Amino acid sequence: MEETKYDFDVVRWFTIMAVVYLVVGTLVGVFIASELAWPALNMDIAEITFGRLRPLHTNAVIFAFGGCALFATSFYAVQRTGNTSLWSPKMAWFTFWGWNLIIVAAVITLPLGITQSKEYAELEWPIDLAIAVVWLSWGLNFIMTIAKRKTSHIYVANWFFMGMFVMITYLHVVNSLAIPVGLWKSYSIFSGVQDAMIQWWWGHNAVGFYLTAGFLGMMYYFVPKQANRPVFSYRLSVLHFWALMFGYVWLGAHHLQYTALPDWTGSLGAAVSLAMIIPSWGGAINGMMTLSGAWDKLRTDYILRFLIMSLAFYAMSTFEGPVMSSKTVNALSHYTDWTIGHVHSGALGWVGMVAAGSLYHLVEKLWNTRMYSAKLVNTHFWTATIGTVVYITAMWVSGIMQGLMWRDYDEFGTLTYTFAESVAAMHPYYAMRAIGGAIYWLGGVIMLYNVIMTVRQAAAQRSTAAARA
Amino acid sequence: MNNLREYFHTNWAAMTLHDWLGLIITVGAFLGMVWIYSYAFNPKNKDRFESQRQIPFDEENSDSENEK
Repeated sequence: MEETKYDFDVVRWFTIMAVVYLVVGTLVGVFIASELAWPALNMDIAEITFGRLRPLHTNAVIFAFGGCALFATSFYAVQRTGNTSLWSPKMAWFTFWGWNLIIVAAVITLPLGITQSKEYAELEWPIDLAIAVVWLSWGLNFIMTIAKRKTSHIYVANWFFMGMFVMITYLHVVNSLAIPVGLWKSYSIFSGVQDAMIQWWWGHNAVGFYLTAGFLGMMYYFVPKQANRPVFSYRLSVLHFWALMFGYVWLGAHHLQYTALPDWTGSLGAAVSLAMIIPSWGGAINGMMTLSGAWDKLRTDYILRFLIMSLAFYAMSTFEGPVMSSKTVNALSHYTDWTIGHVHSGALGWVGMVAAGSLYHLVEKLWNTRMYSAKLVNTHFWTATIGTVVYITAMWVSGIMQGLMWRDYDEFGTLTYTFAESVAAMHPYYAMRAIGGAIYWLGGVIMLYNVIMTVRQAAAQRSTAAARA
Repeated sequence: MNNLREYFHTNWAAMTLHDWLGLIITVGAFLGMVWIYSYAFNPKNKDRFESQRQIPFDEENSDSENEK
């Protein structure tokens, strides 16, 4: 049988950069969280205020960390499940350098206040064009690698990556349609409520297809591989895929309840959100039940702990989201910190942990060695879990308290609390959130150290083996 | 019954191209989902689907030693 030759160099670099961006992106997050608790940290420097750095934080964790993790895992899984090398290694390197240059552009422009003011799509039009080109280079390479596979069936993980590619391509293009009035200034072609609807059609689907579908692709490859057991039900994974593809696009309107958007649109968004609990939980159970009969592996396999814990957070946040989208709950939760808590239970708990588990698995495979310290993997697992729980608990409590304070009124119909009073009441929870974030960041630092030491250990082992030969 | 009829009353003549497109896509997506559910859960197709579970373990080569 002819041996398959894989292209893993670019996967290695995406892996390393993902871990670096995890540390950088969460550090910016911890800093801006601290600014909210202790505003003096602004130091009256415009470039480091919350408003300038918040988009840098979201772009760094979603697109820098998340993007590099997705590119690393997708390029790895598509080669391994197709028994083939990449269609174009040169194009993969173009994707690597292009994506990293875009991140550099974000680091420069966002603190300078150059922004389109669209959430999760702040970057100005020249960078948007670059994103489209680099994104297409990854997608084309991925699809052409599938086309040259040596297996007959396309494994479900690759379906999720392809679904993400198709949906994010048109979401990014439509949401970014703008008229440039200068090199660094443009205006959206949409206006008023249409602009808001397009923004949240993109915003929620960035969560649905980038942070969910893409990372589910990771889950469907790396959970079975790490557990050394096939996925619990392949049929369920197929249903999970199609239900997600059909369902997610409808949800964006639930971000605009009680606004100028037609009432039925928000109701439809909430109804489909509630329906999405079924496939989401089906997928989470499918991942967890892969361990059926081998739960004892969780005692000793710390990488597997990350993957399974991520599925618990996935199940939790895909239940919480639909509940928050219903009009009754949304009347309390919207515009409060509860939303921030929800998004971080998904981001830190689901995305961060499934990526960490997958990246640890990748590091061992790519450098053909074991992790430098299994104890440090376990320490990272606990810091990530505790950090996430502290963060989201703080935001749940502060969010619900905020909502209750804003809607409370006395017997004369006058609001009981001023807005400033509600801000003051948030202080302890903002401090607690910063601490939770710092614990999570510390886990990222531990991971980076462990990965660097593992790479060095692998290099030393290779030199020793070469000397012996 | 009368109330229900009134609730579901639709002025078909007032439907715009966008309304028709939205209606067709919505009903089409719903029917597509029903078809996929029935196809995936049809006992006849079970073995065909479940045989694909092994793909990540069918890799012909071991790990990074087969790199280019």
